[in-house]
Amino acid sequence: MVASSVVGKPVRALGGFFSMMLDTFVALFKPPFAWREFVSQSWFVARVSIVPTLMLTIPYTVLLTFTFNILLREFGAADFSGTGAALGTVRQIGPIVTVLVVAGAGATAMCADLGARTIREELDALRVMGIDPIQALVVPRVLAAMLVSLALSATVILVGLAGAYFFTVYVQDVSPGAFASGLTLIIGSVDVFIALVKAALFGLSAGLIACYKGISVGGGPAGVGNAVNETVVFTFMALFAINIVATAVAVKVTM
Amino acid sequence: MTVSHPHSQFPWLKARFRAIADPWNAIGVQTQFYGHTLRSILTAVTRYRVELFRLIAQMGLGAGALIVIGGTVAIVGFLTVTTGAIIAVQGYTDFAEIGVEALTGFASAFFNVRLIAPATTAIALSATIGAGATAQLGAMRISEEIDALEVMGIRSIAYLASTRVVAGLIVVIPLYCVGVLASFWAARFGTTVIYGQSTGVYDHYFRTFLNPTDLFWSLGQCVALAIVIMLVHTYYGYTARGGPAGVGEAVGRGVRTSMILSAFVLVMISLAVYGQSGNFNLAG
Repeated sequence: MVASSVVGKPVRALGGFFSMMLDTFVALFKPPFAWREFVSQSWFVARVSIVPTLMLTIPYTVLLTFTFNILLREFGAADFSGTGAALGTVRQIGPIVTVLVVAGAGATAMCADLGARTIREELDALRVMGIDPIQALVVPRVLAAMLVSLALSATVILVGLAGAYFFTVYVQDVSPGAFASGLTLIIGSVDVFIALVKAALFGLSAGLIACYKGISVGGGPAGVGNAVNETVVFTFMALFAINIVATAVAVKVTM
Repeated sequence: MTVSHPHSQFPWLKARFRAIADPWNAIGVQTQFYGHTLRSILTAVTRYRVELFRLIAQMGLGAGALIVIGGTVAIVGFLTVTTGAIIAVQGYTDFAEIGVEALTGFASAFFNVRLIAPATTAIALSATIGAGATAQLGAMRISEEIDALEVMGIRSIAYLASTRVVAGLIVVIPLYCVGVLASFWAARFGTTVIYGQSTGVYDHYFRTFLNPTDLFWSLGQCVALAIVIMLVHTYYGYTARGGPAGVGEAVGRGVRTSMILSAFVLVMISLAVYGQSGNFNLAG
């Protein structure tokens, strides 16, 4: 009995997650789309994510440009620091910071909010009134996570490049013209497009995991806290895995 | 305790003042908590040793559903394997574009140690043991277990927060080792097995540029990050309020704050340690 619950619980949770995912994709195309909820959720996720986005992008870009410029100076190629900044920001920092913010800020807030509604039995109340919680709550949340994640990815890239510019030009004394002309040497619109596609995938999976954990909350006062904790861990793992697969696919496509 | 007045002369002025003063005071209260926690570490180590050992064991394995997927160690290992593999995938192809794919081993030795391993370990710590600590302490706070501890004459900050900081400090050392080895292994595996570079070339550049001093600094960074992360997370758990829903919110806020702070700490330590010159010689 104990052994079966140890094995059975995670398997059942995985099954539950996939069934919710399918329900969500089906409900996505059913007519009454919860516009109001979609807009308010987009605003909610954007509001909790924007400060972490700025505060995480700036240090990580500074760190990356700093480490990269050490290398370039050693080669005597500091003029190419713009290339390094674009490469790092668009290809790596952009997606990684988006992952961190979407999983660490967006998904946690979303799961905490939905979990609170679940333990207050609001979802049961919705079901009693004949409203499908998947359609009314989950679909707009998942779409909102996707939309905000796209916007965040673009913000991260812009802020990252601006931060790299200031750091490189004013702290490490590279000429601004050289920085600007190096930007587009390797990185083109295809890379930006790939970064945005990745961001949309991150938002989709983070939204699904957060919603699943949120609507399956149970077990006393520790329940919501544990659900949020598990959301962070699972979204990080899923998003890092998606990032590596998406990067490998993107490399194959662009070659 | 504030005394309630039947009416006040300038309510809007007071409200405006409070809107400015409250966040400012919150920072002070938070700093005070951190100071108290750090000061109580000695008490925690001498008086609450059993609790400390229990926490170390628990943090290494993780709590709740996380045990099932292998605990904290497996999560840290998994995250660093994916970031190490990024080096192989992205580094190899980028270097191949300018014809120096032989230097992928160098990229693994340089970027893994200086950037990727500490950053990833910090994120994993915050997500696993950090968020777990907030959830636990928050649940204790709202079920009034912390008040009960105080009533029984147990120093709750030393017993709950300081022990967790010390436990985090001890647990991060093996976790970092697992993390950095996993990222090295993933980068080597990806480059040599998947992209088919010869292992001799990879190992040559990897060993040449692997700087043992950097590794120690990187470990030091992780230890500092672990302290910061555990402090932030215990604070948000210890001060959670607003029922079960409040605990969830506290966990979310704890993760956000600790990620931001750890990013800043990482940059500060990196800039301080490696300096403007970078403490790096390509030509030997």
